[in-house]
Amino acid sequence: MSMDIDIQAFAGADPILAIAEEVFTAMIDGEPGHVLPALSAPELGDPMHAWVDVQGTTSGRVLLSTERATADDLARALLGMEPDEEVSTEDFVDALGEVANVVGGNVKALVPDPGVLTLPQVTQERPPTQDGSQIYELNLDWRGRAVVISLWKLP
Amino acid sequence: MRALVIDDSRTMRRIVSRLLGSLGFETVEAADGREALDVLEGGTHIDLACIDWNMPVMNGLEFVTAVRNNRDWRDMTLMMVTTESEQSQIVRALAAGAHEYLIKPFTPDAVREKLQLLGLVELEESA
Amino acid sequence: MTLTADTFTYVADLVRTRSAIQLDTGKEYLVESRLLPMARAAGVPDVDTFVRALRATAAPKQIEAVVEALTTNETSWFRDAQPFRALTEHIVPAILGSSSGAFAPSLRIWSAACSSGQEPYSIAMSLEDLLPPNGWRITATDLNEQMLTRARAGRYNQLEMNRGLPVTMLVKHFSRAGTDWEVNPQLRRTISFVRHNLLDPPPTGGPFDVVFLRNVLIYFDLATKRDVLQRVHGVLKPGGYLILGAAETTIGIDDGWERVPVGAGSAYRRTARRAA
Repeated sequence: MSMDIDIQAFAGADPILAIAEEVFTAMIDGEPGHVLPALSAPELGDPMHAWVDVQGTTSGRVLLSTERATADDLARALLGMEPDEEVSTEDFVDALGEVANVVGGNVKALVPDPGVLTLPQVTQERPPTQDGSQIYELNLDWRGRAVVISLWKLP
Repeated sequence: MRALVIDDSRTMRRIVSRLLGSLGFETVEAADGREALDVLEGGTHIDLACIDWNMPVMNGLEFVTAVRNNRDWRDMTLMMVTTESEQSQIVRALAAGAHEYLIKPFTPDAVREKLQLLGLVELEESA
Repeated sequence: MTLTADTFTYVADLVRTRSAIQLDTGKEYLVESRLLPMARAAGVPDVDTFVRALRATAAPKQIEAVVEALTTNETSWFRDAQPFRALTEHIVPAILGSSSGAFAPSLRIWSAACSSGQEPYSIAMSLEDLLPPNGWRITATDLNEQMLTRARAGRYNQLEMNRGLPVTMLVKHFSRAGTDWEVNPQLRRTISFVRHNLLDPPPTGGPFDVVFLRNVLIYFDLATKRDVLQRVHGVLKPGGYLILGAAETTIGIDDGWERVPVGAGSAYRRTARRAA
């Protein structure tokens, strides 16, 4: 499969933004309107990364990056927890991984000859990527917090 | 009514189980297809299985195929609940014997409406 | 990026006076998210600036677009299920049974206030199993031009597709189009989308065998309800069927109708009007 998604082909609508909006509306916020495109790229302090790979003849990675505190809030929202409730490591790793999985699965459906989706991985370290292999980056503002979705070509 | 929620993500299992609970289902959870088969082979009666596709050990499609090959479980309703959303994948799941297909992400209303289609939740007339 | 109270009040007033929909305090984020794409498209950085410009120019088209952007709601396929079962199991067989001669009539259906199109497409999917190609013609109308454009395109996102559409129908009648799904042209061809205000004379495409007018009358006062029902009466064939929302009725409003049980619900058949 090819990760060459032609963003321009979607008549002005950014398909990755559309996917992000659907995921946040349905699973995280329960209503539309809380995730917006951000105008500038954020600095992520204490970052967390979650990703899935689409593996085929050529492969790509869908990477979701945010701050640890935002990952906690995403987990609380997904799991229906109280705003100040303690989030276990297991919970936020699983929750962030599932967000990456759902985004990644929908991105997979955009490519012409899709392959197989890998199980999600979550780490503090940014997964190693080659220079020049980034295809796309979307900076999001979720309730004033930064969430970045990026697509990468894999060797 | 008892539902088996099969997903390797505990987050997703909790979301689906909570929704099914609010619709009157008792729920049992399994983290992959093999664990789910263990539940069935243990003799637990299941009316509805909500099945993720991509899971370690045994994936959802393999689980559906295994269930369809066992006459004891032929009354069970099988609904895929997955991020796999290519038309070809949906067709594969239906061919394997799935009855309904819910694509992630989904809203609580979508779950209720799918179960109404399957006749597992009663219709309420909306004004 | 928060909205000023002034901007919110202005937009909320605009929406209330034009659509009777109330945007309460706390819905600022909704205004922000629905209007931000319009602001960006207009070349301004934020919604406050956009709304200030809107107030200064009061351009009717832009005001209409703002109201439309804030009053759209998601809806389901085969909403309430029962009316579609009534159509295929009772109404169509009754109409076909009563027609004489060797020629099967082409059924004419009006889907009024069709919103983003799920109702007319659900009607078409229901009939497809029952009638030959060209066996029906649907006129789908709405007041909202933006909704009609969406309905005509027949493109729905994943969240919309998940809402009550049986997967067999999805596979049969839709194709993937980017992140969306698109209704197949064979089905779309059976529907004409026309802008129409229910308070105006009925649209062309009649006389109709069946009119779907669901969850619309509830928004009107008694006199307007009667007026709308009488207009619908005028474009229905004698013995034609009117399908209303579950909480709606003609009883006590207009006497040109006979309530008939169809499956688990009811429809209204056009009868001769009693002399006044």
